[in-house]
Amino acid sequence: MIPFLAVVKKELSSVLRDRTIIISILIQLFIASFSSALLLGMLSLYDADTIMKYGGASIKIGMVGASDNPLESFMTKRGIQITPFATLTDAETEFYQGKLNAIILIPPNIFNTAEIKLYLPNSDAISSLIRMVIQEPLKQYENYLRAQNGIEVRYTDLKGKPTTSFEFVYSVLLPMLMFFPAFVAGSMTVDSITEEVENNTLQTLLSAPLTINGTISAKITAAVILSIIQCIAWMVLLWLNRIAIQNPVWILLLAVIVAGITSTSAALGAALLRDRERSQFVYSLILLTAIAISTLLDLSPIETVSRLAIGDYYTSGWNVAVFAVFLAGLYLLLLKISRRLVV
Amino acid sequence: MHQILVIAWREVSRLRKRFSGTSPITVILLLAALGFSAFALRNTVALGSGLYRVGISGEVPAIQDSRFSIVTVDAIEGKTLLDKHIIDVFINGAQVIYRDDDKSLYAVKALKQYLEKQELIRIGSSYAEGEAFPLRVGINYLNASQASGQNEAAPAKPEEIIIPSLTPPPAPFTQVIVALFYIMPITFISIFFTSSFMDEKINRRLTILLSAPITPFQIMLGKMLPYAVFALATTVLIAILTNGNILLALAIFAPTTLFIFAIYLMVPMFYRTFKDTTFISMLVTTLTTSYLVFPAMFTGSNDLAYISPLTLAVKMYRNEPFGWREYLFPSLPMAAIFGFAMFAGTRMLNEEFLMGYKPISRKVADAIYLMMAHSQPYLSVPIWSLLMIPAVYMIQVAFLAFASNLPIGMMLGAILIASAFVEEVVKSIGIVVLAEHGVVTSTRNIIVLAFLSALGFLIGEKLLLLVSISIVSQSSISSALFSAGIFLLIPLFAHFTFTAIVTVLRTKVKLPYTVALTAGTLVHFFYNWYLMGGMR
Repeated sequence: MIPFLAVVKKELSSVLRDRTIIISILIQLFIASFSSALLLGMLSLYDADTIMKYGGASIKIGMVGASDNPLESFMTKRGIQITPFATLTDAETEFYQGKLNAIILIPPNIFNTAEIKLYLPNSDAISSLIRMVIQEPLKQYENYLRAQNGIEVRYTDLKGKPTTSFEFVYSVLLPMLMFFPAFVAGSMTVDSITEEVENNTLQTLLSAPLTINGTISAKITAAVILSIIQCIAWMVLLWLNRIAIQNPVWILLLAVIVAGITSTSAALGAALLRDRERSQFVYSLILLTAIAISTLLDLSPIETVSRLAIGDYYTSGWNVAVFAVFLAGLYLLLLKISRRLVV
Repeated sequence: MHQILVIAWREVSRLRKRFSGTSPITVILLLAALGFSAFALRNTVALGSGLYRVGISGEVPAIQDSRFSIVTVDAIEGKTLLDKHIIDVFINGAQVIYRDDDKSLYAVKALKQYLEKQELIRIGSSYAEGEAFPLRVGINYLNASQASGQNEAAPAKPEEIIIPSLTPPPAPFTQVIVALFYIMPITFISIFFTSSFMDEKINRRLTILLSAPITPFQIMLGKMLPYAVFALATTVLIAILTNGNILLALAIFAPTTLFIFAIYLMVPMFYRTFKDTTFISMLVTTLTTSYLVFPAMFTGSNDLAYISPLTLAVKMYRNEPFGWREYLFPSLPMAAIFGFAMFAGTRMLNEEFLMGYKPISRKVADAIYLMMAHSQPYLSVPIWSLLMIPAVYMIQVAFLAFASNLPIGMMLGAILIASAFVEEVVKSIGIVVLAEHGVVTSTRNIIVLAFLSALGFLIGEKLLLLVSISIVSQSSISSALFSAGIFLLIPLFAHFTFTAIVTVLRTKVKLPYTVALTAGTLVHFFYNWYLMGGMR
């Protein structure tokens, strides 16, 4: 047991000495903050509600045509200022003076198919902003016209709460923070094993009172220990940001098991291929395929983490146990194959 | 040229030998796995996958979306499950029942988006087109400047007719994802390029290569050639598969390929252990991908999106035209970074540098010394400061993203400190490294160099501003920037003072570099803080 711990210690201290783990933590911090910044940016630029909240009141649209048109009330309800005009020329004059942002022209005598005209400024930024804001009123107007034709559209009055940040936190951010360390752990295992092989130091290591299985297991253990420390740190950080996470123990356990799975399969690849170039390549391919298969089988660890975190009724420790069984199988396979590294 | 081809051929045979052990069946198996994964993940992985449980009863459109898990129940059972928080929403025919808590309301909003689409499909298939989609909107664009007499000949865009409920929101998600398809193989290929260097470093063949009568430049170019050809071939392939314009795609992604290769050229120069390589590669992949993707998400809503070439690709897939200035805006800096990396590579590609095991910071310092030592310090120091501007800019954008997670009160301060720090590092590091190697010694020389460094930095900074503003928007802002010519002297003097503080503290007072930097950064920060206060 002592030599085993010695190898674990050596692995951990080399990572700490090289300061490489700092890079890994920086990457995760960067991805997390960049994606949330991206999301915030998208929210403010592509979400009609947010635009209306921050600058929508200043959008002025001139409307030419029938004054009792329902579109006008849909627009006003959305919070857009509507100014009626008698002719297009009048409206254009105001537009060129900078008093209007856009013009809508409704021709008289609309029957079942209506064609209205929209005049927008020739600037990508402003015109797409206006198009986003008037999208909803236009759809309501369309439904109104459909009702005139006797077509009933269901589920139009649903409201709810904007979902983007809820979905982002539980289905992207949390799984990313829990599984990225596992992905790194696998890569580390490949590096650590192939480096010993390519530098011919494995034989020396084996002259110590330690078997090949002991050596590999020690390397895997070191990688998993690192990943669990990171996961705990991320959990604390999320908790400090007041993000509610149910079942934290099960989630951490799942993260450990997944780190074990990635490191074990990485060690398997390294044992078979024996050089870094091919092992890393095959490792990333296997990972990608595994994600695809688990998604297809409805057994995705990503979904399991999301569901555990929101306290889903049907998800419990048994869903985590499935992955533990899989890990045990992989590890047994590794014990059979690892001898190939020595010869 | 002949030499380069020889090296390239050698590289191809090296790769062949490396992968000859693996049977073609394995290769096919792996490729099949890759294709299968891409296919499987294409639709199923979505934001919010598996988050909502929905109970349905009666005649409801089929819900096939990875976000919803469906339970079929009868009306009474559905309500009980909803009350027990086992399901989030219950759809009973045309009626949607929900609770008043957040989780249920999120589910309702997600359902609304999905069901709206389903209803449109139902209506579209059961009624005549004119009745189902009774509204047409013809969109015309007006030139705001028409009345004032400028740009009268500007071509108006042709009228665009849309049906509101069938028009997707203008967010360029899909096109950005398609554009990302081009980047992923390039990154993958450049990882092989990196491992080729490492491989030769381990078995010491690089040493033999360096003693042959060829220049480091030829070695790098020759090794890069097969991978670059391969990367461009995948670009063509993807353009064909996605019905893109092949020549345009090549023109857009050739500078990007060079840029990615340039960055991956630096990875093997600095690594010491295998783990280093993995982590540095990961860092580099993350940074380049976000640098490319982030701006492109704002195509059409913010002109600064043109920083990324993916924006051009998005435009290409939307059939929107762009001019040569929009093309050069992202492409030139990328080509410049490639040139800079090739130059740095020729300086670093020597045995002593490659084989040394030193702390990363030491290695970086050595690399900077190698780049600067071959010409006069009076020339190399300002040029260094000037050339590093794009890198400084990229780092500051990254800080902006980090800082957006902080509380508003701390955000501004954190950004100011971080950017002052980066600027001080860039301006002073060259001088400090030169002084350490004894190239400059006297206080007078160090102060003169500090001035030149500040000058180079200021010129670079203003050039970047001028170029970005004059290309992207109209010239009104850029003229405002330069209108008060005398004010350029104040920032020049300020930059000079900060750099002089750092370099003199380090080289003459012999303080540790970190302490000297902290001092310079603090003064710089307070100066910026004062300026911001003055503006209010």
